[in-house]
Amino acid sequence: MTSYLIRRLGIAVITLVLITFLVYGLIRAMPGTPATNQLAVMDPSKQLSPEAIARINRLYGLDKPWYAAYFVWMKNVVVGDLGVSFTRNMRPVAELIVERAPATLMLSATSLALAYLLSIPIGLWATAQANTVAERTVSTVLYMLYSLPAFVAALYLQLLLYVKLDWLPLYGMQSDAYESLSPVGKAVDVLRHAVMPIACFTYGNLAYYSRFIRANMQEVVRQDYIRTARAKGVGPRAILWKHAFRNTMIPLVTLLGLSLPGLFSGAVILEQIFQWPGMGRLYFEAIGQRDYNVIMGLTLMFSVLALAGQLLADILYAVVDPRVTYG
Amino acid sequence: MDLPPSTTGAMAASDVPLGASPGFWREAWRRFRRRKLAMAALLFVAALTLVAICAPLIVGTRPIVCQYKGRIYFPAAWYYNRDWENPIFAKDRFRGRFAENLQAKDPQSWAIWPLIYQDPYRRIRENEWPGQPANPSGAEGRPSRYNWLGTNQQGFDVLASMVHGAQTAVSVGFVSMGIAATIGITLGALAGYYGRWIDVLLSRVIEVVMCVPSLVLILALVALLDRVNNLHLMAIVGLTHWTGIARLTRAEFMKLKQMEFVAAARALGASPGRIMFTHVLRNALAPVLVPITFGIADAILIESGLSYLGFGASPPNPSWGTLLSAGRRNIEDMWWLILFPGTAIFLTVLAYNLIGEGLQEATDPRLRQDAH
Repeated sequence: MTSYLIRRLGIAVITLVLITFLVYGLIRAMPGTPATNQLAVMDPSKQLSPEAIARINRLYGLDKPWYAAYFVWMKNVVVGDLGVSFTRNMRPVAELIVERAPATLMLSATSLALAYLLSIPIGLWATAQANTVAERTVSTVLYMLYSLPAFVAALYLQLLLYVKLDWLPLYGMQSDAYESLSPVGKAVDVLRHAVMPIACFTYGNLAYYSRFIRANMQEVVRQDYIRTARAKGVGPRAILWKHAFRNTMIPLVTLLGLSLPGLFSGAVILEQIFQWPGMGRLYFEAIGQRDYNVIMGLTLMFSVLALAGQLLADILYAVVDPRVTYG
Repeated sequence: MDLPPSTTGAMAASDVPLGASPGFWREAWRRFRRRKLAMAALLFVAALTLVAICAPLIVGTRPIVCQYKGRIYFPAAWYYNRDWENPIFAKDRFRGRFAENLQAKDPQSWAIWPLIYQDPYRRIRENEWPGQPANPSGAEGRPSRYNWLGTNQQGFDVLASMVHGAQTAVSVGFVSMGIAATIGITLGALAGYYGRWIDVLLSRVIEVVMCVPSLVLILALVALLDRVNNLHLMAIVGLTHWTGIARLTRAEFMKLKQMEFVAAARALGASPGRIMFTHVLRNALAPVLVPITFGIADAILIESGLSYLGFGASPPNPSWGTLLSAGRRNIEDMWWLILFPGTAIFLTVLAYNLIGEGLQEATDPRLRQDAH
């Protein structure tokens, strides 16, 4: 196990270096620099003095060709310095990420929890009621939801809940009058803003997971040991929950491991649509502003999480299934 | 296996029915056809493709065929390629207004017109077509007798944009997945067939491409290009979305290269290329078709998503995503800009997903037993 872990970690580090190198090359190849982005051109007060620019360029290797600058960036990262944002008052990237993380986590953690909490009962119910009219209807609706693009769903929801019914705010995370509200009022306000984004985040996963559980369950309930259990008089609920569902946990756990990185990277497009001040939006804005360090910091974080999620899935696999060992 | 040859021969003679047994593809098609939803989806895609190909014949402001000064022309071809317009119309100062100019400049002329007189690239003016009012614009442009699905901010017909935008959707799906399939199948085949260091190397490449945030890749490539057109978008989507296909091809090849027919082909002296791409690929194609079909749905989503965010092909380019993005800007009073293109994207993605699933169940031998 230890040697397996070391090998996997070694490969992960190489992959990580390749990814960041590629992304660094790409973003440096994009026309424009942070100093020439629109914000700086439009608002002279946000422009940096030439000396400051020269100092930053030297510090972060921007005066060098991109492949050399990449190693400057990497050297800084190894000692724990992600650099500063060029377009956000020179604030450290790590600070910006920490500041934006809660907003994203609020959406993604809620939606992931909701998706799992709802999809397990739905999947089990669909197995128990297989091929009844109700089950087929629910499964068809879920399948259609799975095919509904999130940005279309977001617009439809906005059209219905804001324009038509005027129940929920269109976008943002807080109302204009947020500061004057009581603590309870503040919580309610943020919640009201979060309903639509969370719904858009959740429905696709919900549809996917419940179909996934149902498909796996259908395979399992045909096994001989289920028939044995039924023959010795175990009740249908106990069969589903104790005998069948336990054996579908393995792929489910893998799926959970793979979906964890999504907690942070979230859905960039959805945050953009709902103007939700999370990390996805920060990423999108940083790309537009050519804010190299912010893009790289977020890319690094997302990639580390993606690789860690894959590793975690493999390890969890061995934990839930004693037959799996890594030598 | 261990039976003496005579016994095997006798068994084969008694068990196998006379005549050719149905081939794999025919069998798969038979299974696919049994699934009503998948067939409906296939019909939908076929209809959509037809609409895309025939877009200028359905909605347009140029005659499909016309006779002008004694000769036959096809002005609607302009919608396919701007260079296909006959110079005579430029010389006679038609300026794209065929309805009024044809009659005025040659009373003997005749023309066959598209079904609907509307244009995805401009606003129709009053009496351009006898009795048809000018297109409304802005919030006035709700669906009406003349503009079935309404008009956009500038007064362009939404139905016309959607019919012509179907060309974008259909071609983006096919072309980008063509690119992705070529890369994915080649790399996956090499990795799976040769194994060892080639596999290690190519698997790393696949992993890196998988982990590179596709948004950065796409936005960087879009920023590098000066004027983005649909071909660029197709290439970008194709170049970034081949990893799933490659991984599946690799797994299939690893499985299939152990089979006897590969050893037999090798013993006959077939070259590795021949073994890989005629013998093994043939047997791996069915499972590989599944991610390709899902990939088409993905490609359509990405194209409309990019257009929606404003990173799509440069205007004037009718695309469902562009309509949606206009709808988002006018969400308060122009619902038709959201409802109709959104439904079109949804139905198309749904159709491709249904086809992919139908294919999966029709070609997966594990699921096949359940059908009996």
